[in-house]
Amino acid sequence: MSTPAIFAAVTGFDPLTGGEFLVAQNIAFAIMAITMLVSAVRMVTTGNVVHAALYLVIVLAGAAGIFILLGAEFVGVTQVLVYIGAIVVLFLFGIMLTKGSFGADDGVGGERRGIAAMVGALVLAVMAAALLDTFRDAELSRAEPSLTADVADLIFSRYIVPFEAISVLLLAALIGAIVVARGD
Amino acid sequence: MNDVANRNQLAYIAAQASDARVNVEFESEGMTLNLGPQHPATHGTLRVIVKLDGERVLRADPMMGYMHRGYEKLAEVRTYPQVTTLVNRIDWLGSFANEVPFILAAEQLMEVEAPPRAQWIRTILFELSRIANVILFLGDMGVQLGAVTPVFFAFRDREFVLNQIEAVTGGRFHPNFDRIGGLKDDLPKGWIEETTGVLDRIRTFCDEMEDLVTGNEIFQARTRGIGVIPAEVGLAYGLSGANIRASGVDWDLRRDGGVGLVHDQVDWKVWTHPDGDSFARYWVRLQEVREACGIIEQLLGGIPSGPVMAKVPRIIKVPAGEAYVETENPLGVMGYYVVSKGDLVPFRVKIRSASFNNISITPWVLEGTYVPDVVSILASLYFILGDIDR
Amino acid sequence: MILAADPLLVDGIDLTVVLIVLLKAGVAFALLLVAVMLVIWFERKLISDMQNRIGPALAGPWGILQTLADGIKLFFKEDLLPTRADRVVFRLAPYLSIIPAFVAFAIVPVGGDFSDGGDGTVSMFGRSTFLQVADPPVGVLFFLALSAVAVYGVMLAGWSSGSKYPLLGSVRASAQMISYEAALGLAIATVFLSSGSLSTHDIVVGQSATTWNVLATGIVPFGIFLIAGTAELNRPPFDLVEAEQELVGGFHTEYSSIRFALFFLSEFMNMITMSAIAVTLFLGGPAGPIVTQRVAWVWPLFWFFLKVMAFLFTFVWLRATLPRFRYDQLMDLGWKVLIPAALGWFLLIATLDVAADLGWPTIPVVIVGVLVLWGGASLLSGAVRKAQAERLEEADRGADETAGSASGLGEA
Repeated sequence: MSTPAIFAAVTGFDPLTGGEFLVAQNIAFAIMAITMLVSAVRMVTTGNVVHAALYLVIVLAGAAGIFILLGAEFVGVTQVLVYIGAIVVLFLFGIMLTKGSFGADDGVGGERRGIAAMVGALVLAVMAAALLDTFRDAELSRAEPSLTADVADLIFSRYIVPFEAISVLLLAALIGAIVVARGD
Repeated sequence: MNDVANRNQLAYIAAQASDARVNVEFESEGMTLNLGPQHPATHGTLRVIVKLDGERVLRADPMMGYMHRGYEKLAEVRTYPQVTTLVNRIDWLGSFANEVPFILAAEQLMEVEAPPRAQWIRTILFELSRIANVILFLGDMGVQLGAVTPVFFAFRDREFVLNQIEAVTGGRFHPNFDRIGGLKDDLPKGWIEETTGVLDRIRTFCDEMEDLVTGNEIFQARTRGIGVIPAEVGLAYGLSGANIRASGVDWDLRRDGGVGLVHDQVDWKVWTHPDGDSFARYWVRLQEVREACGIIEQLLGGIPSGPVMAKVPRIIKVPAGEAYVETENPLGVMGYYVVSKGDLVPFRVKIRSASFNNISITPWVLEGTYVPDVVSILASLYFILGDIDR
Repeated sequence: MILAADPLLVDGIDLTVVLIVLLKAGVAFALLLVAVMLVIWFERKLISDMQNRIGPALAGPWGILQTLADGIKLFFKEDLLPTRADRVVFRLAPYLSIIPAFVAFAIVPVGGDFSDGGDGTVSMFGRSTFLQVADPPVGVLFFLALSAVAVYGVMLAGWSSGSKYPLLGSVRASAQMISYEAALGLAIATVFLSSGSLSTHDIVVGQSATTWNVLATGIVPFGIFLIAGTAELNRPPFDLVEAEQELVGGFHTEYSSIRFALFFLSEFMNMITMSAIAVTLFLGGPAGPIVTQRVAWVWPLFWFFLKVMAFLFTFVWLRATLPRFRYDQLMDLGWKVLIPAALGWFLLIATLDVAADLGWPTIPVVIVGVLVLWGGASLLSGAVRKAQAERLEEADRGADETAGSASGLGEA
């Protein structure tokens, strides 16, 4: 991901649209991408669980920034709201409630590094394959800023079935969590 | 090395060892939280070691003695009239009430009795110091639950009570006014009318508290059913005062003790509450302030005339013997066990202070509660640090 | 893009536009700082009056410079770093707390003429613009996202202090703010339904065209917003995060000097922002009668100020009056009362909207909707009661067991 970005930032040449000069966007993208990469690496290598969660926040914030850069404000802000504002906060909440420890923990998850790397590589391969398969050689049009209303219309018309399926899935997960937590 | 130094050192080592033991015991699992010795909720140097699971209390141990001043020992080198100066400082919010049981015990040993006028004024001052003490509790209960305003109202109205006490005794906090065989002085002119006005203010304050605190839903949710002490447990731990009356035990030494004070001359009621929770303790104290106003009002109307001092020798030597007198002080039962060997100074004074017993129930009552309730339960038990540590 | 709705930015960007944007941001920043200073003074003075005290009286006339004096004092105090603290995070936390507090105010329209169908544009250096720093199309979501980010300041401050009281404070903070954000978001969602937009500017314009949202959404969301907003601000009666009697200072126990001042400032800044958002969403923002035409531009600012002051007064009033909730009671209120109520009301308003679209008669729809809501509420409360009874029974059993094994007084 980052090679074309760096290339674009340095040359001001956008390889996606073929020849347009978008210096500001590309520099911003490059900064975000590099930050995300570094944070992602630090996240899996740091020995402190809370620090890992904070690096995850940086990665997620970078993703939100890229969404906004692409004109998808709604998705970007929702990314912040849901992932940073709720999910990671719950991670941290859990960490604080269960461990209550300060400072680094030695060897957090070190013994499963191999498996984790494999899973990561697999996910990357699947996503890359899917993306390549979907777009192939198609020319990407310059993204118009998407409006919240359009997103809403799409969700409730074309994508209504996946939307409802996800809702039911989440509901099931919620009830399951309650049942597991109550333990009776 | 002499004996005293040896003993001190041994005591020090023992204290350190017990401290270490407690710490080791607590560190084993969960999180240990030290509430105090410096903590906003303990208004003094009480230390409660709390072992937590999340915010739930697994065990709570009060550690006292950070403010031990050795009054029992000091009393052995003070002449009888001088002792009142010391014991004044035990329950520093209702100081006059501390003097009364000691003086009564000394009077019992000397077989003198204060003249009726002195007894009536004594009772009035006794009840005034109860008001001065308890209305601060009423305000402080709010503070411990996070409502800061009531305590300022309490301080405002307490000032009037202190002014009245000062007008009689010359001291706001430490009156040192009670004498063996009577009182130091008579009432100043116009004091009775002024006091009646002050009582009205106190009654208004009680109404305000009822409006501002008692009826508040959050207050009720925070205190009702919290820190319930059943009557048997309370009695077993030696609770006294409003704490035990809030558990439904109808026991008040002002009515049932009958030593030296003239509460039996007036018409009043002992308030109890069946619930035994924090709210009950608060409510009973609120009613007791009102009741104290009624007692004082009736007493003010009927002070007999006459001297305020019986005939006692200038140099007081108390005949050999021993006496135990207890009275219903603002915080609960306070008793003095005085042993005399016919000297100028007492041979031995043992002080039974109310807060020491009241606080001893904390491990029992705090188990299984949450951290915020620790604070509110401690507040509702109402202890004065000086009264715990003496 | 994020500023696209402002007429200032529609026809291209030149130096004047950039300068105007910078000017607006700068003025907003400076005004907020001054406002915070005054609000702190206002709160102290007002609460003193309510508590029979005088309050700050020495620095400046009526003690108005007291905050400045305190700030200078804090600035020159020693900045302590606890031994067990996580150095980086400990230093970072105050900024995570104060930056969202500043930024969130950017979307609030503070002035501009909205009366008689006016759209609130003012002209500034020959350009027309809105009196708000930014008007992103996702406006209110932006506010919610920032208030979600603000949790980090409190939470990390508590964790990184390496001390127990702050840790308890931050555990409380994270759970509390997350829970009440849900209720807050649902209350705001009702506003989206009635306004049909996420942009704060459009919401204000929509309210001036019809009626204020506080009425249009039927008061309930307004009440929920106020309660949840107070909780989100960690103001009394929801100030468990820094409950002095329990946790000494809560998450900022270990902080001193200017870092403490930043937390203090951000708390009051959030208070202002929350009041301003409440005014924008429910009370028509700067809308109000233009009394004199001579200085017409002053009136919207005045009305805005007045409405915000009403909220600030209420926050102080609450602090002076109410005791604090306990943690589990707070959670009960949030999850069992506010969130279901907000959700139910949201559904009702949505149904009414659909009914209006389809031309169904209003009154039967209202009756059916209320009946359904009532049914849902009684189901929920029944479930809650049953669960509670079961838990109590369980606890009793547990207590019996412990009492059986315990010795001596425990049995009684």
